[in-house]
Amino acid sequence: MTEEPYRWVEAVANRREYIETQLASGSPIAAVGYRDGILFVTLGRTRQKVYEIYDRIAMGAIGHPGDIERLRMAAIELASTEGFTRSAADVSLRRLAYYSLSPVLKAGFEQIYGAPYLARMLFAEIGDKPEDDLFLRVEYDGAIATNGATFSETRQDFGALSGTRAATELMESFLKREHKPDGSLRSALKTGLEAWTVGHIGSSDDGARELPGKEAIAARLQEQLTGSGIEGAILERDARRAIRYRALADDEVKALTAG
Amino acid sequence: MDLPSTALSCGFSGGVDDFAGLLRRKGFLPAAPGVPMAAAPGSEAIPQTQATTILAFKFQGGVLVAGDRRATAGNTVVYDRADKVLEIDRHSIMAIAGVPATAWEMARVLEHSFQFFRRTQLQEMSVDGKVRALSKLLRDNFGFVMQGVGIVVPIFATYDAGADPAARLYFYDAMGANFEVTDFAATGSGSPAVRGILYYENNWGKKPLLEMEQDEAVTVALRALDTAAESDTATGGVDRNARIFPVIKIVSQAGITTLPDKQIGALFKRSVA
Repeated sequence: MTEEPYRWVEAVANRREYIETQLASGSPIAAVGYRDGILFVTLGRTRQKVYEIYDRIAMGAIGHPGDIERLRMAAIELASTEGFTRSAADVSLRRLAYYSLSPVLKAGFEQIYGAPYLARMLFAEIGDKPEDDLFLRVEYDGAIATNGATFSETRQDFGALSGTRAATELMESFLKREHKPDGSLRSALKTGLEAWTVGHIGSSDDGARELPGKEAIAARLQEQLTGSGIEGAILERDARRAIRYRALADDEVKALTAG
Repeated sequence: MDLPSTALSCGFSGGVDDFAGLLRRKGFLPAAPGVPMAAAPGSEAIPQTQATTILAFKFQGGVLVAGDRRATAGNTVVYDRADKVLEIDRHSIMAIAGVPATAWEMARVLEHSFQFFRRTQLQEMSVDGKVRALSKLLRDNFGFVMQGVGIVVPIFATYDAGADPAARLYFYDAMGANFEVTDFAATGSGSPAVRGILYYENNWGKKPLLEMEQDEAVTVALRALDTAAESDTATGGVDRNARIFPVIKIVSQAGITTLPDKQIGALFKRSVA
């Protein structure tokens, strides 16, 4: 039956709906640029959700743990072999996403007899200057969205990922309004957590379409913090070290969120 | 199985491959030949580039690792600024005597292995694991050694932050056996002289090596290397006109410190020259 073009389109559409339902409850992830680097932040219970991929590349993901592992492992293997056979400077997130991950995700998604990857990912690569920072979202069907300037939009120094497309858009419009790229790590963490909350509201309350108010955000964040912990990781711009990724320790996060 | 380096393997490896295994699977690391019992004919005739004389010992501030700068091939000095004391990660140093082509590649594999392990397994590799990883690389290289090419005899120094925190020091033989050291280690063609000096200093010097302050330790290291260079042509001495000094690094809890040439130069002038 899937030999018929119409059936194939229908099957793909069903599959999209299925994947979207599976991913909808994922905890959002915000990545925000600040004075000295890029901060990844999310809330979670046990599973780690932000990962080191290579010297300058970090990844956050929503989805099935098995699929996230496969994609994470593949990304690390690709970056590591590239960094080994050529040099660390030749490892590029753009190439990794466009030439390696995207085609595989698309094939997995459209080959309707096989299982698709149940995952969407948010990557960031830190540059020498803030203008060179790259934020990149890779969807389960291989679609890629970046922070780069296009004809109509200006460049953004943040990235957002959440369970539903609408919630991601909501996070983006929140960050567009609130995010200050040259702020401190403390203010980046505050904005990041608020953006997380906006994504959480957007993906849980029957798809809220309007940006919630400050009080609503604060109340929801407080409520969520009782059951989950904050997970944070940074990519530092400090050029003295080759490896820029560093997970924030619990007491570091506590100190940054206190007061 | 000739995949381009950007192709994504859909098979879930689960991270069971170590990095060297991954490189081999992708064809980026040559498999060593099986071990023949004799050197390949003619291999003696090709002079190999060799690097020599490295030493390491424990002192008050951690482990000091020092190496001269000369690389030779037969009677020829190939290079007088070779760096044989290589940083592998924030707390580990591999110092090499032997063929730099193999040694630098080994150091590169090792550096990437530690990082690859941390990234895939989401935890730091243990000190035992790191020591063993170098053993394995040496063992895998032994086929080349028996053919008369690519011998490497390294020293490995690292800081163990585990249950019994301390700076640790290991030396290896060419087959990959690792030996943990309590006081000092030296390898390379100039090492007999260096071992003599370190043994003497440790037992009958002003104080044991372990109790030395940094300046005292650096002085001993410089004097030992100078002595080695005196009789061993493959060991480079200090070239004061060109300002070429040995490389000296220190491993401690705080990480790795590289002593600036200026500081080494001043100490050399005061206590050695």
